[in-house]
Amino acid sequence: MQFSVANLLVLVPLLPLLGAVCTVLLGRRLGPRAHLPAVAGIGAAAVVALLLLLVTANQVGGRHADPTHPVEPVERISTLWQWATVGDARSGDLHAAEAGVPIAPGTAVSGGTFSIPIALRLDPLTATLLMVITGVGLLVAIYSIGYMHDDPGSPRFFALVAMFVFSMSMLVAASNFLLVYVFWEAVGACSYLLIGFWYTKPEAARAAKKAFLVNRVGDFGLAIAVFLLWMTYGTLNFHDTHLADGTFVEGILGQTRIADEAGYVAGAVGTAICLLMLLAACGKSAQMPLHVWLPDAMEGPTPASALIHAATMVTAGIYLITRSAPLFMGCPGALTMVSIVGATTALVAALIATVQNDLKRVLAYSTISQLGYMFVALGTGTMLGFTAAIFHLVTHAFFKALLFLGAGSVMHAMGGVIDMRRFGGLRQVMPITATTFLIGACALAGVPPFAGFFSKDEVLASLHAKAHPDAHGSDHGEAGGRPSGTGIDAGGVADRGVRPFRPASMTSRSSALASRTTGTTDRASTTEKLGLDALDHPSTWRLLFWMSLLTAGLTAFYTFRAVFMTFTGPVRIPKEAGHHAHESPPAMTNPLLILAALSALSGLVLFVTNALSGFLAATPSLTAPAVARTAVPHVFHWDIAIQGTLAAAIGIAVAAIGHLGRRSDSPQMERYLGPLGALFANKFYVDQIYAALIVKPLEALAMVTAFFDRAIVDGTVDAIGQVPLAWGSAIRRMQSGLVQRYALAGVVGVLAIVLALAWQLRP
Amino acid sequence: MIPATLLTNALLVGAVLFCLGLVGILTRRNLIVMFLSAELMLQGVSVTLVAWSRYHGDWGGQVLVVFVLTVAACEAAVALVFVLQAFARTGRLDASAWQALREENLPRVIDHGLPADDRVVPSWPHLSPAGVLPEGDDSRSLERDHV
Repeated sequence: MQFSVANLLVLVPLLPLLGAVCTVLLGRRLGPRAHLPAVAGIGAAAVVALLLLLVTANQVGGRHADPTHPVEPVERISTLWQWATVGDARSGDLHAAEAGVPIAPGTAVSGGTFSIPIALRLDPLTATLLMVITGVGLLVAIYSIGYMHDDPGSPRFFALVAMFVFSMSMLVAASNFLLVYVFWEAVGACSYLLIGFWYTKPEAARAAKKAFLVNRVGDFGLAIAVFLLWMTYGTLNFHDTHLADGTFVEGILGQTRIADEAGYVAGAVGTAICLLMLLAACGKSAQMPLHVWLPDAMEGPTPASALIHAATMVTAGIYLITRSAPLFMGCPGALTMVSIVGATTALVAALIATVQNDLKRVLAYSTISQLGYMFVALGTGTMLGFTAAIFHLVTHAFFKALLFLGAGSVMHAMGGVIDMRRFGGLRQVMPITATTFLIGACALAGVPPFAGFFSKDEVLASLHAKAHPDAHGSDHGEAGGRPSGTGIDAGGVADRGVRPFRPASMTSRSSALASRTTGTTDRASTTEKLGLDALDHPSTWRLLFWMSLLTAGLTAFYTFRAVFMTFTGPVRIPKEAGHHAHESPPAMTNPLLILAALSALSGLVLFVTNALSGFLAATPSLTAPAVARTAVPHVFHWDIAIQGTLAAAIGIAVAAIGHLGRRSDSPQMERYLGPLGALFANKFYVDQIYAALIVKPLEALAMVTAFFDRAIVDGTVDAIGQVPLAWGSAIRRMQSGLVQRYALAGVVGVLAIVLALAWQLRP
Repeated sequence: MIPATLLTNALLVGAVLFCLGLVGILTRRNLIVMFLSAELMLQGVSVTLVAWSRYHGDWGGQVLVVFVLTVAACEAAVALVFVLQAFARTGRLDASAWQALREENLPRVIDHGLPADDRVVPSWPHLSPAGVLPEGDDSRSLERDHV
């Protein structure tokens, strides 16, 4: 392999892995310096990631000068080794043959061998996310040095953090759906271990279990989606590969297929794949209805919350959908579902956050809400939407990590108390934390010119473009108004040798599809109107836009409510604080300052230079024609910015009226909400509904089966065991020890035999 | 070859002997008498064997009887040793004294209580000592003081 800087990609996951292994092996011996290997590993990985980001940016170069011009995709694949190879894995051919479907000669090529290469990819999306993961990971690790300094389990903590950075960077760098699935699970396992870090605490153990189980629902969706992808496309690789025997395999997200207008299966199968991926993303990114694990995950150490539940792991779902953008583009119904799920989650989580009194829980619901924002943007299926989602992901990673670490700093100083009603006026006690937290809050609330303002503006703009296609059609050129769902209807069917493998067993699952598949493998015929697709209508988008705008106002309200309750008003410190009630050590405040700078400036810089969206446009997945033709010129949307800022200003004003300068334990604004307050405080009773619909019936079933096991199965076995004992106790009395009795028994026995023989032999 | 009537008589004698022995072994409690009863049963069988042997004119039966006699002699030797040892342990020949191997929690079977051991320890004539007094085992002499 020829050396180039891009080949350093493997170091990004490898260095944190080494750090984790060293910490595990040397942990006890390092004593108070247990953080060294992990921090060094993540730090070195961050340097490499920065290098890779610059290299990739250099490769993309100035090609994004004209946004409507197609962008050349930039990707670099480095295959490390073949993990598994199964020849003749495509049993689907037999089904096709049985069904009498003629198979194009090229079909055999695309899906003959099932091979899983350990292949890493470097493209703008991966480079961006690697930078965010390792950068935020490094700051969190440094912060943890101060936060975890007196915890006896700190070697375990640092090993897990490094392990987590490894898993997450592999997840975004893998170039194969199976590898993505593997590290999807690995990330889930690390999160389980970190949430349950204080495993002696029952709440933490329960929260870890809950996170794991809820995530399994999503993982199940991803597993089925991967199976369907293999059955549909005959490969799981993202990239195109040339096999040793000269055959060419078209990767699912390879440049050949992406360039092909009709390269993707739509209809029922395509929509099923997309909806299953959406289910997976909902699990990992805590979207309705699988969001319940994230607020409980706050039982873990605060740096873990910042790392996993704010900055990195929860973005896995966003990554998955962005990466699979070409798959989604063919299924407008599924795309709209993404937005609907996102908008609903954003609004519901924001409403819940308005009445939470636990500082970390406010932030947790805010995370869910902001992830919903990213989903809304993804669901628009436009270039603006995808880049807005990633833009918001990046800025959110900065300010949410900042807010979480600030909350951790407060918690550290207050001796573990995190209920906002029990402290107040902390700006006088911990000025650095208060200032940085305020910056983070401004960024989250979307106050111009902080980071969140610009990314939120882009999200709203992408929604607005979908809601008012005509207005934007004249404003932003005709591309902006084009509904994404029509991407598949282009008539031109490329007549190429390599066709997607599509076994008949899969397509004949629905009768509508079966009638279509007989006698043709024409991909253009996969256009089919599903009921779900009817959702993709401007009126839907208008509703989603207003929901998002309302969410923006609510976000500003609950964020500043938390700021006012914690940092303003008379100084009150709970007695648990003890000697800790002062500003945190530099190891904790320095990451806060760095993150505050990033939260304040990153949005402005990235927006004004248009660096991020131009950079991301070169991601292979986003160069799909259906996405690329929706690219619009880079403008600042004054109308939307004014609406967003107004919403934020109203939210902040209401929060100020209710909470600025007041004692945080005095009656709150919730009292005006009436019955709604109880609804929000109880998190829309989702946990109770799950308990009633799923947990209780399962527990009842478990009780029944446990009864069956103990009473019936065990009872039968025990009863069989009792039979010899019962016989024994009956016969035991004959054991008298008297020799004449034994002799008598012998005589009786012989007599019985003799009599029986006589009876048998009677004439 | 003997006539059937003689065979019948011989078989009757054998059966009577056997039954006497059987009743004896089941009812008597004295170990030596039980042993004698067992011998009686053996002899009953032997008579039967000889009778059939004569009836069929086949020597096999009589050969078998010679075997039985030989085996009975050996058995007598062994059985008498057991009886003597048992007696040496407890000083009793009553079989109902040996019920220790019965099932736990079962009461002893007592049809008639063991005869009271009311024998007076006889005073053996003491001879004037001559020569060296042999080494005696006091523990053994204790348990057989009334032998």
